[in-house]
Amino acid sequence: MKIIKTFALGLTVAAASQMTFAADSGFDLKTVDPEADRIALQNYFKARFPESEISDYVNGIYAVDAGSREQWEELEEFPPYEFDVEKGEELFNTPFANGKGYADCFENGGIGIRHKFPYWSKEEGTVKTLEQEINECREDNGEKPLKWGKGEIAQVSAYMAWTSRDKVFDVQIPADDKRALAAYLDGKKFFYAKRGQLNLSCANCHVQGTNIRIRADLPSPQLGHVSHFPVFRSKWGALGTLHRRYSGCHKDSRSKPLKPQTETFRNLEYFQTYMSNGLIANGPGARK
Amino acid sequence: MKKGLVIAAALALAPTFVAAESFQEAFEMNRAMYGNDHVFDWNGGKYHTNHEEELEARVQATKTNAEDLLAKANAKNKEVAELGFEWKLTGGILKDAQAAIDEGDYQKALDLAAQAKYHARIGIDQYHYAQKNWHLSVPQ
Repeated sequence: MKIIKTFALGLTVAAASQMTFAADSGFDLKTVDPEADRIALQNYFKARFPESEISDYVNGIYAVDAGSREQWEELEEFPPYEFDVEKGEELFNTPFANGKGYADCFENGGIGIRHKFPYWSKEEGTVKTLEQEINECREDNGEKPLKWGKGEIAQVSAYMAWTSRDKVFDVQIPADDKRALAAYLDGKKFFYAKRGQLNLSCANCHVQGTNIRIRADLPSPQLGHVSHFPVFRSKWGALGTLHRRYSGCHKDSRSKPLKPQTETFRNLEYFQTYMSNGLIANGPGARK
Repeated sequence: MKKGLVIAAALALAPTFVAAESFQEAFEMNRAMYGNDHVFDWNGGKYHTNHEEELEARVQATKTNAEDLLAKANAKNKEVAELGFEWKLTGGILKDAQAAIDEGDYQKALDLAAQAKYHARIGIDQYHYAQKNWHLSVPQ
């Protein structure tokens, strides 16, 4: 009897040693839970960087790397995006040929609304982004759409972000429209799927790889990623939109990058912004 | 008691350590160690370390053969593009292969088309892997 008990106990220990923890929910439409995802992500970063305040993640890598933060704070004394905000304000207030302007297209005259983007449009059955609606506004008023990545669209977006500083992101995923949850899940899946010749997912660099050098760069944390866009990147020497950065990141994994404002990138923005719910909008930002 | 536990654990864990090496694992290990054109043993058989595209490029360097392989590479790249997993450099390699055909350098065209087709095939494998495993790095 003693031998049987010992053997059974041994088998249990051995079997347990072969089990690996694997979560089995949150990966399909039936089980995906955005709020659980958001809390899990916050907990992940709390455990990785216990010294950093969650609210500080809107500052990207500067929330977790003191050396980079020091340089960035000096840069922010004369913010490189300042002229772009001024230009954006001028463009925003310049009437279209038909006499109307951007203010006519947005709630509250377009002031202090950046944090409400992206949102799920039930009517159109898709995620809508701020830059998308800036161009729709132009087209509805007989103007040519702007190029997505940089230049005037980034400047107008920067001005609108500037007027929304300190407002809290609260992206909603309407429970009565399963398509919204599907869009969120699509964005989540894109973020975590490995792709490209380098076989990298967004998460490899911006979750597990946060603050771990890739040559001379320190990847930023995914938490708070979208809060400070558009950004003035020193590498670009100019202001650029979030989707310009998405294309660049996508290309860095040696994937053929998607075009800005494709449905996949808008879903990615939806997922990423939901992850930043509760954080403030602080765009435009300055980054390396 | 302790002896019994150790024996039982060893018995239960044994399959983990003696699990058969899959063909893919054997292929990749031999390819990484010896490069192409190496012969290795697996499960009693002899196999080579060449990628299928390398063999496809080993045909007579004629315009027809180069065009055929380029057509296959273009089709494979279209397939991976539709899955959203096209690699960055493949489009350029396909253009270079076409340029080599236009210049009459058919061996170069065969080699480039083979490379592009390989990129596309592995991109498709990557897509299928991602469908099954994307969740593994999601924080819980």
